[in-house]
Amino acid sequence: MSFEKNLLQMKKLIKKKPAKETSLASFVMPNPPAYLEKWKDAGLEVIENQFGLVFVKKTVYSPQFFHGSFKLSHVFHAFKLWNQIEEQHPISTNGQNVVFFDTETTGLKGTGTYIFLSGQLVFKNNQFELTQHLMADPSHETAFLYETGLWKPNQTVITYNGKSFDWPQLETRWTLNRTYLPKLSLPHHIDLLHGSRRVWKGDLTQFKLTSIEVEKLGFKRVGDIPGHLAPIIYLDAVKNGDPHALLKVLHHNEWDILSLLTLFIHSSKLLLEESYTETALTSTNIGKWFADLKMYEKSQDQFDQITSTYEKEEASMAFYYIGFNYKRFNRKEDAYLSFSNALLHLPLLFKINAYEELAKIDEHLFKRFGQAIIYSKEALQLIDGLPELTETKKIKLRNAFEKRLNRLLKKIK
Amino acid sequence: MRTNLSIAELLNEWKSDAVMKERIVHWHTVPEKPASLADFPADLHESIIVALKKRGITKLYSHQREAYELARANQSFTAITPTASGKSYCYHLPVLQSILENPASRALYLFPTKALAQDQKSDLHELIEQMDQSILSYTFDGDTAPAIRTKVRKAGHIVLTNPDMLHSGILPHHTKWVSLFENLKYIVIDELHTYKGVFGSHVAHVIRRLKRICTYYGSNPIFICTSATISNPKELAESLTNETHQLISKNGAPAGIKNFIFYNPPIVHPTFGIRRSAILEVRDLAKRLYKENIQTIVFAKSRVRVEMLVTYLKELSKKKIQDESIRGYRGGYLPSERREIEKGLRNGTIQTVVSTNALELGVDIGQLQACIMTGYPGNIASAWQQAGRAGRRQDEALIIYVAQSTALDQYIVNNPGYLLGQSPEEARIHPENLIILMDHLKCASFELPFSMTDQYGEFEIQELLAYLEDEGILVRTSDKWHWMSDRFPAHEISLRSASQENVVIIDQTVPAATKVLGEMDRYSSMTLLHEEAIYLHQGIQYQVEKLDWEEKKAFVREVDVDYFTDANLAVELKVMSEDKVIEFEQASIYYGDVSILAMATIFKKIRFDSHDNIGSGPIQLPPEELHTSSSWISFNRPKTWTDSMLSDAMTGTATSIGLFVPLFVQCDRRDIHVVAQVKSTHSELPTFYVYDSYPGGIGISERVYEVWPTLLEHVHQHVKNCPCDQGCPACIGAQEASIGMKDDVLNLLAYLQLR
Repeated sequence: MSFEKNLLQMKKLIKKKPAKETSLASFVMPNPPAYLEKWKDAGLEVIENQFGLVFVKKTVYSPQFFHGSFKLSHVFHAFKLWNQIEEQHPISTNGQNVVFFDTETTGLKGTGTYIFLSGQLVFKNNQFELTQHLMADPSHETAFLYETGLWKPNQTVITYNGKSFDWPQLETRWTLNRTYLPKLSLPHHIDLLHGSRRVWKGDLTQFKLTSIEVEKLGFKRVGDIPGHLAPIIYLDAVKNGDPHALLKVLHHNEWDILSLLTLFIHSSKLLLEESYTETALTSTNIGKWFADLKMYEKSQDQFDQITSTYEKEEASMAFYYIGFNYKRFNRKEDAYLSFSNALLHLPLLFKINAYEELAKIDEHLFKRFGQAIIYSKEALQLIDGLPELTETKKIKLRNAFEKRLNRLLKKIK
Repeated sequence: MRTNLSIAELLNEWKSDAVMKERIVHWHTVPEKPASLADFPADLHESIIVALKKRGITKLYSHQREAYELARANQSFTAITPTASGKSYCYHLPVLQSILENPASRALYLFPTKALAQDQKSDLHELIEQMDQSILSYTFDGDTAPAIRTKVRKAGHIVLTNPDMLHSGILPHHTKWVSLFENLKYIVIDELHTYKGVFGSHVAHVIRRLKRICTYYGSNPIFICTSATISNPKELAESLTNETHQLISKNGAPAGIKNFIFYNPPIVHPTFGIRRSAILEVRDLAKRLYKENIQTIVFAKSRVRVEMLVTYLKELSKKKIQDESIRGYRGGYLPSERREIEKGLRNGTIQTVVSTNALELGVDIGQLQACIMTGYPGNIASAWQQAGRAGRRQDEALIIYVAQSTALDQYIVNNPGYLLGQSPEEARIHPENLIILMDHLKCASFELPFSMTDQYGEFEIQELLAYLEDEGILVRTSDKWHWMSDRFPAHEISLRSASQENVVIIDQTVPAATKVLGEMDRYSSMTLLHEEAIYLHQGIQYQVEKLDWEEKKAFVREVDVDYFTDANLAVELKVMSEDKVIEFEQASIYYGDVSILAMATIFKKIRFDSHDNIGSGPIQLPPEELHTSSSWISFNRPKTWTDSMLSDAMTGTATSIGLFVPLFVQCDRRDIHVVAQVKSTHSELPTFYVYDSYPGGIGISERVYEVWPTLLEHVHQHVKNCPCDQGCPACIGAQEASIGMKDDVLNLLAYLQLR
């Protein structure tokens, strides 16, 4: 209650006036923050533009620099792989004007959340260059946003979860400063979170960048701050002027961006380099992804490699998807064979679909009604034992198979 | 075979029936009123005229035309719109016209609930379809699919939403709504009268925030409000929107003859003033109307009672096969079920519908011939809305008010002028409540930084912003106050309560599917959510099984019992400041701030209708402190009265004052508390305190301060006229017989008349 008590003692402070019109004033240069010198002493550079001040930290890396298991220069190999294929893929790029980009913000969402740190990694003058812009204080936001240069057209940004977080947040900040800033154009945007979810579905349980680093990229952070503390550290630094904890946030952001680059290398090679594989599961996921993107040739290549490399048990999902690829191209005999090969080790949920496909081909192509009846009955037996299906879905499946079964039974009579 | 009687014939029969004559306390007839029509405005778009004609409308009612002219002249207005007066055209016409003239133009419709917005959307869609124009209208609420949200934000000409969504889903993300805010021409607030008390005060701030965002994007929208009959629609609209309003009070819709009947069930227990159960009387009346083939709507107060009545009435039709002529209608029905009932009422297959108050708000079921109200719905506005359900355009209508034995009901039935006279309640809001103001100041700061010269709505806020800086939420730079916190304030603030920390009410009737029913402020929850309390939610009874005071959670389970619970609150009250005072000969009245230390002690189980005490138990909760506003009356001790006499008389008087405050200021019974002190710590004089139940106060006691003389006069009259001998729940609370306390209360009240 003490809060309410405090408040009520302030009741006398409420004064009322008729609401007045406010008009938009022209841009007023903000004052420099009181802690300007302190932050400079901590190693941050200061840039002044027409809108105010921005703190900047630049870090360069030689192409030979290793982050985890990957050399930074391998990114050129990844670009080359993408340039060799014709189709568009969610993570394909020609390698021109590529920026690896990540931000830190003061909160999770809404107009009261500021972006206070923007990190951009590019290749320039034969070396990799990381530029981190740090907002001096919220009144210098226009200066900060302008200085990031993110408004410049024809860029490709590569992010981790940037499509649903960083970029919309940037758009929000831009809208709030749109009177003074050049228009923010929509870049070509590659979000590696989406790709990671596709590639490691069923393999990784967590898709935090730090866990991917450990599991896949051969990198373990030492002395990192947890990402969720970043807002509080910045808020504190602005209120108290002490930049020391803030430098840890900069380091955190640096690691994020370096890992973004190595993750891009790793994912690109998994997708496009035939001999570069992890497990049957990863390869199957990749083949399925290609199929969903209608890149059937690439998809078939992946699956063929799995079925020729791994035992039937591990390759069953690949056989299953190959079946659908064949079905798509009307090669029903081949499809039948693939579904039959898949059947034994398939997870039950998929097994129902495989039975359905087999029954269809038996009924309509081979006219082996007896066999089709067997498959339909097998499927019907499975349905009840599947807790992952909803009741409505179960009813729907059951109806479909029973209909098929009745029809088949009539046919053999 | 006998023929059915018409309403007029039935009334004639009742007039000569000795039994009915005794029970019908008052007759009142409102004469027929012809429609007042106006031509379509000259500039009205052809496609709108086409659509209206398809609906059989060739002329507007005068108020619709007046609304159109005002809106087109960029003048904010509020229209009083009784049921079935075509209120939605008051806003649809100017809004659609402005969009047809300029496709960039946008409108925002606010409805108090999600369900109402969805109802209105179907009607609006139909109208737009009949116009054959490409105007996009969407509802935006928690149910809106993420996939179409972007479309709503960018392309929706008309967005229908509710204040809660505006507060936490739209305003904090205003940058995603640029095309709406840049072009916002009209803001429509439907059901204005529902924005009262704490909720209204919160919404007043949400609207101030909305206007601030509009100003930022360069738009200056016009407000269109529609309201049921209340006594201060213009004042409410102006204080809600902080904008000058014109008032459209003359309604052009026609009305047939309306017969009001005030019916009081017979007394069955003279000592305690107990009457026959209203619900049984309603059953009998409804049966009679059913037999005469008169289409009727019956209002009951709770879901349980609706079900009871439906069961009783269905006996009438049990011999028919698949008979649908009697239906219940209560909260929680699916839109498809509602449509079915609406259709049945229109084509006559449904003859009697029994409803809870769910039907009060805007839902369109068309018009019936008769309406029976079981008891007073709590305020005049609701009563008129219920009554408005009866009366097809030109036909004669019958409205029967059946009084229950509660104080308010008995007052109404004996003072029909209160309901019939032009004195509906006021709806009051109190945006000045500092706690509510601070909450929304945080939200507003989050949405856009304030500059060092800004004010917020009508409020000077620079010192308050400095306070928020001290709290570490804002950071001051050279010219602005910036939000500097990782919190999202709108999520921490509920519009439906003034408290900082609320008790969440969790329904665990189905253990696998627990759901949140609502929340309640801490102070009220001590007496309403203690363990074993019967908690009513939308007419359904729940029993509180566990109250986790630390975690602020109350777990409830649905029950069906015939009693309610009433808890005692031991209160220590201290006056902190005296802001206003008026002195009378024997008494003085005050208004100011008080600090209250309250502790719930015991609760009683009280049977419905008879109000018998059927059990009790202790409540174990820590004391709560509340700072709020209060109005109190201190009087010189009447000579010759002993302490104990005075104490008893004051307790009875406090009960009746508590019962009557909601009659004078539109508020809920639980929005205020009344406390009597024989020797107050403040002035050492006998004192009655009336205080707001919400931290910081919501303006009720401020209003009470203004009406003390009338209030006391009415309380006196009522207790005097109450037919009980010794005092009853309807006047001064149930008393043990033969103490003669009622006389003491009457003496005290006579003494307290302020002149």
